[in-house]
Amino acid sequence: MSEIKVLADAVIKADAAAAKEQTQKLLDAGIPAQEILDVGLITPMDEVGERFSKGAMFVPQMLRSAKTMQQCMEIIKPHFQEGDVSFKGKVIIGTVKGDLHDIGKNLVAMMLEGAGFEVVDLGVDVSPQRFVDEVKNEKADILAMSALLSTTMPAMRETIGVMETGGQRGTIKIIIGGAPVTATYAEEIKCDGYAPDAGSCVTEVKKLLGV
Amino acid sequence: MSNEHFQTLSPRLKVLNHDQVMAIHEGAMQILATTGFKMEHDQARKMLIDAGCRVKNDQWLTMGPELVNQALESAPKFIDLYDQSGRPAMRLENENCYFGTGSDAIFTIDLETGRRREAMLKDVGTFARLVDGLDNIDFVMSMANPKDVDINAIYVSVFAEIVKNTNKPVVFIADSGRDIAQIYKIAQSICGDKKVGEKPFLLNYSEAISPLRFPENVVEKLIFCAKHSIPVCFPSGSNAGGGAPVTLAGAMALGIAENLVGLVIHQRTNSGAPFLFGPNVSALDMKSTVVSYGCPEWSLTQAALADMRDELYGLPIWAYAGASDAKVMDAQAGAESMFSICTGLLSRANLMHDVGFLEFGSTSSLEMITMADELVAMAKFFKKGIEVSAATLALDVIDSVATSGSGSIFLTEDHTFDHFMEAQYLPRLLDRSRYDSWRQNGGMDLYQRCNQRSREILENHQVVAKADSVMEEIDRIVAQTGK
Repeated sequence: MSEIKVLADAVIKADAAAAKEQTQKLLDAGIPAQEILDVGLITPMDEVGERFSKGAMFVPQMLRSAKTMQQCMEIIKPHFQEGDVSFKGKVIIGTVKGDLHDIGKNLVAMMLEGAGFEVVDLGVDVSPQRFVDEVKNEKADILAMSALLSTTMPAMRETIGVMETGGQRGTIKIIIGGAPVTATYAEEIKCDGYAPDAGSCVTEVKKLLGV
Repeated sequence: MSNEHFQTLSPRLKVLNHDQVMAIHEGAMQILATTGFKMEHDQARKMLIDAGCRVKNDQWLTMGPELVNQALESAPKFIDLYDQSGRPAMRLENENCYFGTGSDAIFTIDLETGRRREAMLKDVGTFARLVDGLDNIDFVMSMANPKDVDINAIYVSVFAEIVKNTNKPVVFIADSGRDIAQIYKIAQSICGDKKVGEKPFLLNYSEAISPLRFPENVVEKLIFCAKHSIPVCFPSGSNAGGGAPVTLAGAMALGIAENLVGLVIHQRTNSGAPFLFGPNVSALDMKSTVVSYGCPEWSLTQAALADMRDELYGLPIWAYAGASDAKVMDAQAGAESMFSICTGLLSRANLMHDVGFLEFGSTSSLEMITMADELVAMAKFFKKGIEVSAATLALDVIDSVATSGSGSIFLTEDHTFDHFMEAQYLPRLLDRSRYDSWRQNGGMDLYQRCNQRSREILENHQVVAKADSVMEEIDRIVAQTGK
């Protein structure tokens, strides 16, 4: 087995200790950080994502793999030039105004990170203006909004409205989700994507960005 | 032995022993005393601090056992719910079990097409009317989060639609202190001269956010209900693996801790006001991340809560039954529905909601409720146990049939005629016909029979009518809301 395959295997098995050790070993051996990231971390996470969506892996196992990957990232990060790390894309995520529920949103954020996206998590009760400001500041590719209560869903429409008025709507793809949110609603408020659960959110984001 | 009558044992499920009960309770008390909770409602926070809670930091408070014990002491040990005509309908306490629907499903299975579609306000009325016509379904919830109403007035519109279509007790949802006041006005118009809290026909469902977070709008509703003596339940979603630890004992301890915070605020607002105890502790599915409505975990935790009620709390409890994770009313739906109905009855859960849900509460089904009506009857028959007396031992009948020679059969005996109606469970929808006659009658499966029966009830059942003046007043209140 190639040395980098050993790392990939450890990520799939969510063996953090072995993965970190192997990451260091690869760096010491002069393997480029980008190659370690792409082949040793992102590729196995794609595999994990695939296994999870087929039902061959459980959520805690998938999240542990993602965490293992994150820990290895910390080790290779110093070996990149500032801003040199190439992510699959940048996602801004938050639970909409008036809604304090965050389990689903957190899960989506972790799964996106695990799949190789850079995630900016704005937390809960995020106002439309704050979403819009962060979209501008962060130059993100995707805005992901979550709501658990049907009474807070209108904040999604409101946020999109503020963006349209401000002329930012065209700069970003928007995806929504949460228990009361339906595909019809997503279409109605002119979102680019909709995901019924965390796993399909990753798939949908990849599709939207063509990665 | 001739006239002896033995006390009938009613079968019962126990899942916790005394030591386990105390350990979970102590766990809840420790959570409150050390981890504390985040109280985002200013007035409630001030009230709790004045009562002796300590400020941990900012909005986080800790609570000692004295406050909890006082609240457990002052809360009533039973809750009477009435129908909308003011007649006693449900006494929530120890041995009594009641079933009803759930709330806020986004989708429903259309009665005509059999397809899943988005739920509308009209569906809320249809579900209420069906429940009104079913003997074993005792109370009504909305079943829908309808797409075609103004979101700012959604819970008021839904409540109005329910009371226009049933006379049974209602468990309702509100968003905040604002719309619950409108709902109260509707209830007041139905109750006429007497106060709503005197003979309440409604019970509010509000929930904190696990772990340990109490948003302002949620506590507003709790305080409103306490002040007006509207019965309330306050079950947070401390689901194992979701809002709570994956292990059931910890999830229960957390849910109970959250419930106790609600109880303390409630009782300090109005000592002796009715509070239905108990969290929702189901399991977060480890593949789909949905909260399961058909899992054995939820049945276990509510049976455990019933044990905690019997051993310790003495308060009536909130629970669920008759729902499923299946997408259509198939064998899975039947199995899961019956599992929770049986365990709920056998553990004496007092108020079981969510009857009729498919797809873990995302889809409602009229046929599921009609099926549950039959399953509840079947399970209730089992719960009654076996009466043992001279009349039921029937030794004289055995003697007479066995010794009277040829031609004598039990079926022709007076004893059979006199007793068969209560000695046997006589199913209405579960089919026991022989193959040929089943075929001749259309060869329908249970789903089809439930569809047919639901249509019959909706067509023929008459709901006790409300006075025109009351109906007009309801419409007027709805029209005012959201403006």
